[in-house]
Amino acid sequence: MKPRFPLLRFELSAAYRGRTALLFAFGFALASVGVALIGLAPGGALAVQGFARTSVSLLQLVLWVVPLLGLATGAIAGAECHELELVAALPLPRERIVLARWAAWTVVLSACLAIGFGAAGLVIGALAGAADGMRYLALVGIAVVLVAASLALGLWIGVVARSRARAIALAVVVWFVLAVGVDLVVIAALAILPPREAGWGLSLLLLADPVDSARALGLGLFQADAIAGPTGAALKRVLGGWGAWLLVAGLAGWTALPLALAGKRFARSDL
Amino acid sequence: MIVLDHVAKRFDSHAALVDLSLRVAAGEVVALVGPNGAGKSTALRILAGVIRPTSGAAAIGGVDVVTEGYVARRRLGYLPQKLGVPPTTVVGDLVALVAAIRAVAPADAGHALAAAGLGARRGATVAQLSGGERQRVMLALATFGPVAALVLDEPSISLDAEGADEVRETIREAKRRGVAVLFASHHLHDVAALADRIVVIVDGRVAAHGTLDELAAAAGVLRGEAAGEAPIDRIYRVLVTRGRARLRLVTEHAA
Repeated sequence: MKPRFPLLRFELSAAYRGRTALLFAFGFALASVGVALIGLAPGGALAVQGFARTSVSLLQLVLWVVPLLGLATGAIAGAECHELELVAALPLPRERIVLARWAAWTVVLSACLAIGFGAAGLVIGALAGAADGMRYLALVGIAVVLVAASLALGLWIGVVARSRARAIALAVVVWFVLAVGVDLVVIAALAILPPREAGWGLSLLLLADPVDSARALGLGLFQADAIAGPTGAALKRVLGGWGAWLLVAGLAGWTALPLALAGKRFARSDL
Repeated sequence: MIVLDHVAKRFDSHAALVDLSLRVAAGEVVALVGPNGAGKSTALRILAGVIRPTSGAAAIGGVDVVTEGYVARRRLGYLPQKLGVPPTTVVGDLVALVAAIRAVAPADAGHALAAAGLGARRGATVAQLSGGERQRVMLALATFGPVAALVLDEPSISLDAEGADEVRETIREAKRRGVAVLFASHHLHDVAALADRIVVIVDGRVAAHGTLDELAAAAGVLRGEAAGEAPIDRIYRVLVTRGRARLRLVTEHAA
């Protein structure tokens, strides 16, 4: 019987065997448990605050770490596409190589996230009970969607950049813009524009940034205005209940569009 | 059948191929020879769909390798000069991938690997293989499935005498099965032993082509009279030198 999805299996095996996944799984689990144990300790005392409040701290961790890891991993995987001369000479559309790489790394990094969240979840559940556990699972879902979008964007960067060093440098710049730069723009806009006029524009800007989209989704989960950031606060005010679906659609677009661009670019590239 | 029709390839300002046309019929073995940088690998990589020609057309079995690339590659076996996969790739994974895509039963793929003397190396990464082992794996992969055309870039590089014999036998066997074989090599004795026709490329252009006898006549070398060196070496040197001189003439004329 012909094996199904041979290219995905090949890429999964390659991703699984690399050290990146192992290191990330270990590091993220350590950080997640650390946040769960002491991140929200009131008054400096060691205490776990239950799923809801601890998740807010974990969301912050996700918003900083996951895009950086996804962008960097995707950038390297994209640049390495140009080293796959033997695979590119097989009877396959080249776009499928990019798609398989993205899918494999999404699966592997999602598994790493699950390990990290799982470790923290065990600690929280054991010490503070299972209240708000479903929201915690939704947070894992947000992290997975964000890693998928970051990987797709990173792959596009890597395919365009070609060299690993250039790809990683570009990925870090893009990460900085998405994680910090957009919010700086929003803060400046809020300072200049009257609040009513700023609302819709800021919400659209939020859709233009997958990290802020994920942040706003997290905000919606836990009603944690304090960590929403200026764009998140604007979105909550403007979009109301259906905003979450718009954000999910936005993140799906942030995955599909870079993937399509990366596939098209790679299909026309000389290796 | 393999066809290159007035193919040119530029990398930025460098012309790797200026004008190359050749045909390889089913059951025919054609060798590409020429100095380093002549454009041999570029021509083969265009056929494999790895790079795109700047102008001209290339086809495998009548299917254009640019416009219908992956359809053309269905019946193409390709041995790249470079590794072609990340060094951390596991041999067994690579074999499974190529076998699945070429619709070769896993057991047959395993037999092919064992026949190449590498059955016990399935779990090794490509980087852990010796140069010769790597070349044998890649050659086995190139011949997987119902290939109608074989494009081999330096097939006997890194191989010992025994391995080089195996490569020669693989090419002869492909010819017997009616496969069109195009290979590039610096091993002129392989070329003389295997090729029905030889194409000499110099600086991206065809300097000479024909059978060994035709090339010997063109070079003014009598095959039994090349004192102090093998006839093929002498023929090659004469034709390459003449090709370069002709190119200089053309360049000066154009200037």
